[in-house]
Amino acid sequence: MKRTLSVMFLSWEFPPRVIGGISPHVFYLSKSLAKNGVKVHVVTCDFPGAPARETIDGVEVYRVDSYKNPSPDFATWVYLMNLNMQKEAAAIAAKLEEKVDVFHAHDWLVATAGIGLKHVFRKPLLVTMHSTEIGRRDGIHTGTEKMIGETEAWLTYEAWKVICCSQYMVSHVKWAFGLPDDKLVMVPNGVNMQVYEDVRMHDLKSFRTAFALPEEKLVLFVGRLVYEKGAHVLINAIPKILEKVNAKFVIVGSGYMKEQLSTIVRSMGMEHKVMFTGFMDEESLLKLQCCADVSVVPSLFEPFGIVALEAMAAKSPVVVSDTGGLGEIVDHEFTGVKVYPNNTDSLAWGVTKVLLDEKYRNSLMKNAYKRIQEKYDWDKIAQQTERIYEAVLGEYSKSFWA
Amino acid sequence: MRVIIFTWEYPPRIVGQIAEYTSNLATQLVKNKVETYLVTYHPYLTGMTEEPNGVKTIRVANPVRTHIGVLTWVLTLNQEVERAAANIYYQAGRQIDVVDVYDWHFVPAAVTLKSALGIPFVYSVDSLEDHRSHGANVPFNMAIKSIEWLGFYEAAKITAKSEWMRDEILRIYEPPKEKIQVLLPSSSSWISDVLSVYEAASGGTKKQ
Repeated sequence: MKRTLSVMFLSWEFPPRVIGGISPHVFYLSKSLAKNGVKVHVVTCDFPGAPARETIDGVEVYRVDSYKNPSPDFATWVYLMNLNMQKEAAAIAAKLEEKVDVFHAHDWLVATAGIGLKHVFRKPLLVTMHSTEIGRRDGIHTGTEKMIGETEAWLTYEAWKVICCSQYMVSHVKWAFGLPDDKLVMVPNGVNMQVYEDVRMHDLKSFRTAFALPEEKLVLFVGRLVYEKGAHVLINAIPKILEKVNAKFVIVGSGYMKEQLSTIVRSMGMEHKVMFTGFMDEESLLKLQCCADVSVVPSLFEPFGIVALEAMAAKSPVVVSDTGGLGEIVDHEFTGVKVYPNNTDSLAWGVTKVLLDEKYRNSLMKNAYKRIQEKYDWDKIAQQTERIYEAVLGEYSKSFWA
Repeated sequence: MRVIIFTWEYPPRIVGQIAEYTSNLATQLVKNKVETYLVTYHPYLTGMTEEPNGVKTIRVANPVRTHIGVLTWVLTLNQEVERAAANIYYQAGRQIDVVDVYDWHFVPAAVTLKSALGIPFVYSVDSLEDHRSHGANVPFNMAIKSIEWLGFYEAAKITAKSEWMRDEILRIYEPPKEKIQVLLPSSSSWISDVLSVYEAASGGTKKQ
C-alpha cells in the first residue's frame, strides 16, 4: 500500500481571510491535494468569526493567533506573527501521528516559520514564490524593502525547490535571487471552473441591469486600484473605445488610486459610463464576471494574472497586456487578445475589436475555455505538485537527514 | 547532563554583563561534568569551536543583513540559533536535557524547540524591558515585553540574580512564584544551585 504523503502548508491568508491571491491558491491547491489522497495541514492566521480548527473537504485547517500585541510596523508584525505561527505549527506537527513529510511555505510572509520548522524537524521545505518585493515595488528603495528582499533570498536559499506559477516568474526569481536552474519549477495557478458553472444557473440578465443598460456592452476590470494593476490605462482608453462602441466600464476593487481614478473620470465627463463598485462579495463578482462582454487586465506588472483565468472560466473574452504571466496565459487572437502594456491606443484597439465582432468574441471564448480545462485545472495542478513532493522526498531519502 | 546556553553576547563580543557571566557559567558547568554547548551571535566568526575550557561554542550570523530595528534583527537571527540547536540535538542522539536562555533575545528559538522537540528551557533574566525602557509602552517596547512574557509563560524555570529582580518579575509578569529561583553569583553554592535548577527544569517537562 502506498504511504500517505503528509504536507504542512504555511500561509498568512486562507479563506475567509482573503488579502490577495495566496488565499484562493492555497485553498484550492490544498483541497485538490486532499482529493488526490494527500494529507494536508494548513496553518494560517486567525480571522474574526472563523474557527481555530476545522476540516474542509479533508484539509485540516489550523488558524493560529496572528499576534494581537501592538507592533511598530507591518514588517515587524510579520516576523512576530511568524514567531507564534512557528510555535503553534511545531506543536501541531509534533503531536501528529503521521509525521509531516514536507513543509510548504507561501511567500516571505511565512519565511522564518518555514525555515525554523525545516531545521527542528529536519524535513524538506518547499516554497511557492507568488511575487517578489523587487517586482512589487519596481526596484528596492527603502530599508524595509531591502530587508524583505533579503528575507525572500534566504527563504529560497533554504528551500529544496522553489515553485513559481509562470515561466515569467521562474526567470524573474532566478534573476532576483541568483538561484540555480534545477531549483526552480513551474506549476501554474489554477482556476475553479465549477463555481462559474453554478453561477450561470442564476438569472444573470436581471443581475446585469444593476450595472449596465441592455444596449451597453459591459467592460469589466477586476483588481486592486494600485499602479501596477493599470486601471488608469483602461480609464484613459475609454474615450477612444466609446468612439466606436457603446459600453459601460465597471471597475471592481479598491486601492490607493481610487480617488485619482474617479477624478480622471470626472474630468473626462464620463461619470455616466464608468461605475466604481469598490470591493465586491464573491457571489456577485462571479456573476458579474459571467456577464462581462469583455474582461480587461491592463497590468503593468503581473507575476501570474489569475483574474484573466477567472474571466476565461466565466466565458468572458479577455484583453490583457502582454506582460509577465499574463503573456503566457493568453494565446494572441486565439484564447484572447494581447495588447502592449501601458498603451491606451493598443488597449482601445483590443477592446474595440472584441466588442465589435461577435463571431470573433465567441471563438476566443471557446478556445479559452478549452485551454483552461486542459492546463489550469486544480486537480491536474495538484498532481503536478504531488510529483514534485515525491521527487524531493526521493532526494531527501538519500540525504543524511533521512 | 547535556545543556545548551543561548546568549546574544559572548566573548570576544561583549555588550554588557551577560558575556562574562555566561563565559564563567559555561566553564564551571564543564568542570562539573556537564556537556556544555553555547550558541551565540557573531557577525563573522561563525561555526563550531571547542574552547580550551571544554565548552563547545557555535556562533551564528544573521542571514538578513538589512534591518529596520532590533526586533526584526532578533527575530530573524533566532532561526539560525534554532538551526544550530537542532543540529546539536540531532548529532547528540536526540537528547538535550535543558536549554538555558539569557534575556529575551533568543526566547523565540527556545519556545519552538520546546514545542517541536520537547526540550525544556530555563529563562535566565539579566534585565527587563520595563527597566531598560523606563516603562515605555509604545508598540516597539510592548513587542519586546510580549516576548519576555512568552518566555516566562513557557519556561520550565526562571532564574534571577537578585531578590529584587525576582520581585520585579513577579510584580510585572506574575509567573507562578515557585517557578522562580534566585541564583546569587556571589554565593558559594551558586554553581550547585544552577545545577539543581537544570535538574528541576529537565524533569519538569515530558520528553518525546
